[in-house]
Amino acid sequence: MTLTLVHLLPELLGTYGDRGNVEIASWRLKQRGIAHEVITVHAGDRVPVSADLYFLGGGEDDAQVAAREILERDGAMRKVINNGGHIFAVCAGFQLLGASFPASGDRTIIGLGILPVDTFAATPRSVGELLSESTIGIGMLTGFENHAGQTGYLDEIQPLGNVISGVGNAQASTVDGVVTDQVVATYMHGPAFSRNPDLADWVLARKVGELKPLAAPIFTQLHQERVANIK
Amino acid sequence: MKLRLVIVVANAAGWLSRITKKGSGVMVTGRIILKLVPSAVQTLSKSRKVILISGTNGKTTTTSLIYHALSSQGPVVSNFTGANLFAGIAAALSKNQAAPVAVLEVDEMVIPWAMKQTNPRLIVLLNLGRDQLDRLSEVRVVAQKWKVALATAQAHCAVLADSDDPFVTWAAQDCVNVIWFTSGAVGHIDASTCPECGKVLEWNTHLTSYSCTCGFKKPNPEWILRDGELTGPNNQKVGVQSGIPGAAALGNAARAIVAAKAFGVPIDKAASEIAKVLSVDGRFGSLKIGRTNFRLLLSKNPASWRETLATSAQGPKAVALVVNANTQDGKDTSWLWDVDFSPLANRTVIATGERRLDLSARLTVAGIKHEVCADEGAAAKVFGAVDADIIASYTAFHRLSKQVKPS
Ligand SMILES: [Zn+2]
Repeated sequence: MTLTLVHLLPELLGTYGDRGNVEIASWRLKQRGIAHEVITVHAGDRVPVSADLYFLGGGEDDAQVAAREILERDGAMRKVINNGGHIFAVCAGFQLLGASFPASGDRTIIGLGILPVDTFAATPRSVGELLSESTIGIGMLTGFENHAGQTGYLDEIQPLGNVISGVGNAQASTVDGVVTDQVVATYMHGPAFSRNPDLADWVLARKVGELKPLAAPIFTQLHQERVANIK
Repeated sequence: MKLRLVIVVANAAGWLSRITKKGSGVMVTGRIILKLVPSAVQTLSKSRKVILISGTNGKTTTTSLIYHALSSQGPVVSNFTGANLFAGIAAALSKNQAAPVAVLEVDEMVIPWAMKQTNPRLIVLLNLGRDQLDRLSEVRVVAQKWKVALATAQAHCAVLADSDDPFVTWAAQDCVNVIWFTSGAVGHIDASTCPECGKVLEWNTHLTSYSCTCGFKKPNPEWILRDGELTGPNNQKVGVQSGIPGAAALGNAARAIVAAKAFGVPIDKAASEIAKVLSVDGRFGSLKIGRTNFRLLLSKNPASWRETLATSAQGPKAVALVVNANTQDGKDTSWLWDVDFSPLANRTVIATGERRLDLSARLTVAGIKHEVCADEGAAAKVFGAVDADIIASYTAFHRLSKQVKPS
C-alpha cells in the first residue's frame, strides 16, 4: 500500500515556508525506502477525502477565510477525519480546525469544528522563537511563531508542548498546540519538521508504524543549535 | 534657527560622524535637520521636482538608474545609498540646494509621509511582496496604506506602476494619472487572493495576467518591455541594456527610461546613460577573499532570492550563500523553504552565515550537494583560486560590500 500525503492549498496556506513540512516528510520517507505519493490540492481542486496524512500551513486573514470555504465544501475535512486520515496543522491551519477564528474587519469566522479549540484576536502579535517541552516524549520542540490569534481549549485536551520560551497558544496559557488521535497542531513554523526531526518521525510513525532510524545529522545539529540558542 | 544654518551644522555633524568612523553620517545629518526643523523636507522640496521610488525589491537600483539618466540633463540630488527613511530623505534633500531635481528612494511604509512632504511629480511603484514578516507588515497592509495615500495624488503627479503586480495595481488604480508598465513578470508569490475582495484570484495559464469575479483585473500597460525592447505610446521604441546583470535589473532599467522620459529626457539618451551603470551600492561588485575572486550579490526575501539565483546561474560555477537572521535580515528563516534552490544543481555550493544549518537542511532536502563552512574565509579556502559568486542576505551583504573594490 502506498502512503498518500496531501499538501492542502499551498498558495493560500503557505506564508511561513510551510511547504517545507511536506517536503521533509516526503524526504524522510524516501530515505527509508517507504513508498508514498504527495498530492497537492490547489484552490480549484477537490479535496481527496481518503488519503493518509494532510498538511495545513499558515496564511494571512483573507487567505485563511478562502481556505476555510474550500475545506468546508461537502464536509471534506470532516470526511477525512471519519475516514481515519491524520492532519498536521500549523498556525492559521491550526486555527481553522477549531470552533472559530478572527478575520479582518473584526469578523469572526466559523471554523471546521474538528478540534475543540477557539481563537480570538489580540494585540500585540506573538512573534519570535518558541521553545517547548513536548508532551509526547520527544524532548524539546523549537520553532518560530508569528500570530495575532490567541487559541484556547474548549475541552480537556493534550497540548503538543509546555512552553519554556515564547507564547504558544495564548499569552495567558503556558502550552503550544494540540495532540489528538488524528491531529497534531502547533504555532511553530520554521518549518517545524526541519527544526524537529523527531516530531516529523513521530507524526509519520503514527500512520506507518515504527520507523527505522535515519542518519541525517544536519537536522539533529539544527535542532540542537536552535534549542541551545534559546536556553 | 534658520534652515540654512541648521543644514550647515547637521552636515558638519554628519562629517564628524563619518571621519570618526561611527557611520556614513547620513542618518546623523538627517536626524538633526528633522529635530530642529520638522518641516525641513517640505521646505527643501518646494522649488524642486521630486521623484519617489518604492517597492519591496529593486528600490536602490532603480533610484540609482533614474539618477544617472537625469544627471545627464543637470544637477540632481538623491539618497542612492539606500537611506530611505525620514532622516535619509532629509539628508539627501539638504545637499546641493541648487539642484532642481530630487530622486528619492522611499521605504514602502514611508510613502504616505513622503507624498505629503515633497509634493512629488512622479512616483515609481515597483512591486510588493513578502519581506521579513517578523517585523514588517503583511503585504496587503502595505498595499492598503499605498492605496489611501495614492488616492490623494493630484493630476500633476504621475504614478508609474507595475501592472504585473496585483497589489501595486490595486493600490494605484484609483489615481488620476497612472502610467502602467509591464516587464512580463510571471505570477506573484503572495497574490493568491484578490486584493479587492479576498476571493481566490484567477491567473491565466502562463501566469501573466489575473482577474477576479468582483471586476478587479490587470490593466492594459502603456509601456511594455519584451525581449529587451521597450515600446510605448505613439510607436516609441528603444532597446534596453543593463550593465547590471539579471532580468530584474533589465526591468528596472526600462522603468528608469520611462521615468526619465517623464522628466524630459529622450528615451535613447536615457537608455544609453542607464546602460553605463555597472554596479549600485556594492551589488555585483567584486572582492577578493583568500585566493578567490568573489562577485557580491544581495538577496533579501523569497522574490529576490529567486531572481538572484537565476542571475547567478549564468555566472561562475562556484557559489557561496550567506544567510544571517539579525533584525535587518528578518529573524525568521522559514522563507528558505519558499525558495526554489534547483538553479544551484551542478554548481559547487557552500552554505555559510550565522544560519548555515537552516540553509544546509533546506539544501539537503532539495537534493543540492553542498558543503557547510563557518565563514567566507573558510569558503575561499575550499574554492581556491577561482571566480565565485557570493550571495548574501542583508547584514552579510553590508558587511561584505565594505570590501568591494571600486570599479
Ligand atoms: Zn475580487
